Amino acid sequence: MSFLAVQALAAGYGGRQVLKGVSLEAEAGQLVGVLGANGSGKTTLLKAVCGILPHTGACALDGLGLEGLPPRQLARRCSYIPQRSGIAIDLSALEVVLMGFNPRLGLLERPTPAMRAEARAALARVGLAGREEENYLHLSEGQKQLCILARTLVSGGGLLLLDEPESALDLRYRSRMLGLLQSWVRQGRRAALVALHDPALALNGCDRLVILEEGRVRGVLDPASDPLEEMERQLAAVYGAVSLCRCRGRTGHSQLVLLKEPDEPAG
Amino acid sequence: MVSPTARTKIFCAAGAVLLAALAAASLFAGKYPLTLAGLLAGDEMQLRVFWTLRVSRTAVGAAGGFALGVAGFVYQTVFRNPLASPDVIGVSSGASAGAAAGILFCSGAAAVTAASFAGALAAVGLSLALSALDRSGRHSTIVLAGIAVHSLAQTALMCLKLTADPERELASIEYWIMGSLNGITGYGIGGNLALCALCVGVLFLLHRQIILLSAEEGEARMLGVEVGRLRLAVLLAATLAVACVVSLSGLISFVGLLAPHGARLLTRRSGPGTMLLGGLLGGILLTGADLLARSVAAAELPVSIFTSLLGAPFLIFLIVKGRRDP
Repeated sequence: MSFLAVQALAAGYGGRQVLKGVSLEAEAGQLVGVLGANGSGKTTLLKAVCGILPHTGACALDGLGLEGLPPRQLARRCSYIPQRSGIAIDLSALEVVLMGFNPRLGLLERPTPAMRAEARAALARVGLAGREEENYLHLSEGQKQLCILARTLVSGGGLLLLDEPESALDLRYRSRMLGLLQSWVRQGRRAALVALHDPALALNGCDRLVILEEGRVRGVLDPASDPLEEMERQLAAVYGAVSLCRCRGRTGHSQLVLLKEPDEPAG
Repeated sequence: MVSPTARTKIFCAAGAVLLAALAAASLFAGKYPLTLAGLLAGDEMQLRVFWTLRVSRTAVGAAGGFALGVAGFVYQTVFRNPLASPDVIGVSSGASAGAAAGILFCSGAAAVTAASFAGALAAVGLSLALSALDRSGRHSTIVLAGIAVHSLAQTALMCLKLTADPERELASIEYWIMGSLNGITGYGIGGNLALCALCVGVLFLLHRQIILLSAEEGEARMLGVEVGRLRLAVLLAATLAVACVVSLSGLISFVGLLAPHGARLLTRRSGPGTMLLGGLLGGILLTGADLLARSVAAAELPVSIFTSLLGAPFLIFLIVKGRRDP
């Protein structure tokens, strides 16, 4: 059985069904990207998997159903990063990261010195070393995303669900963030499901890509081995006509490059 | 540059010193003059006034203000709204209606205290019960339920006022609504203060969880927080603390709104130190206002006049200062 198994997931808002029977799988050690047009159900999928949204269907992590788990048990197994954190009060970046230890702490317990050290190390890993005492609300949107990523890295779950974590990051930090996620999933039995806005980042950073279209899985891509034509065909459903080619940079590193082609005029 | 942690400690220390000084002044200020020499000499009248009136009045002023400040911090954090105050879930209006019923149908200050406490609890119980009908657990549901209960309590208060004798009962109701620490004696305040202290203690113990509740509901849940139950427990503790105070003092305006807001503007953090400072500022504001209420005129004035008079300029100063500072 796969590490993460999602079967026939359906969910929506106020009677409007957005997700219409999505099934997907992820093996341990895999970083799975979710691509789709705006409104295709990417955020809904992530929220349904972690149980924030009521849904039908089933999600199992390492053979254990996620539905019905109490929040503390669920948080020990699974972490979710929304597009924007809802934190709206004055907290230091370190305090925000320390929130990630909550599932491991008793109701009245405080984070230990070891946890504080771990939180500082996590901030350093995401590139926010020395900014522990800065007010989280005063950080740029990109730095906030990195801070929330650090919080998620310390939470210790086996499954990460990230909703467009790269949307406010510059090119350098996008690559850094994906590198962090790749190294994280390869440590132990872990997997990450990441809704991404940037298809080029997804093609080069993810082990598998799920293409969502109007709440259904249109296709699943393996960017390392699938033929370019097949990937172009699948991606065209989301982005219109595109061309893919493999390029080698000055360092010899091969990457997929996505070019947007002019769409055929309607009619 | 002073770090936020150090700044919080400095403000807390200064706040504690100021509150202690105001409390000491409050012990001696009033219609009946007390002197340290007289108390030390064992003057019987002075000792009686000191122990039955001044100590209890000062304790309710300092502890009550502290509780209102802490409860305000909790409401503003949990509802993610800097304007949230105890009336968000109807506690003040429930207490007013209860007090009015007590004035009309019972006799004695203790009965009015008990009736206002019961009114506050009934309003909060109704708000939380109504919000529980919506199983989504949204913040807005509690706020809407609170507004509905507030309106119901205001209607009940109006009906009670209509039936009140305009000469005596109506005046008493109005005076109660304006709030005053006048008339507080050592009798019957022990239970209220003990329960209030217990609730405030619970809130400090749960501070880390209160901060987690400030995240969005889904985010808090994914951090392992039992949002519905925890929010209920925290709001109940905060509201009980407020009910304990207002049932003794009548409505005290502005303290629960201003004290935590001021503490956050001063420390620019939301940790336990800021919650403590919110409490200290609440104590300072209420004790200071009470001192003025019994000093500036021949007759006692309602304390809420002075909490607003002292608080509003302070809040405006902090807001303007906060905008100017980087």
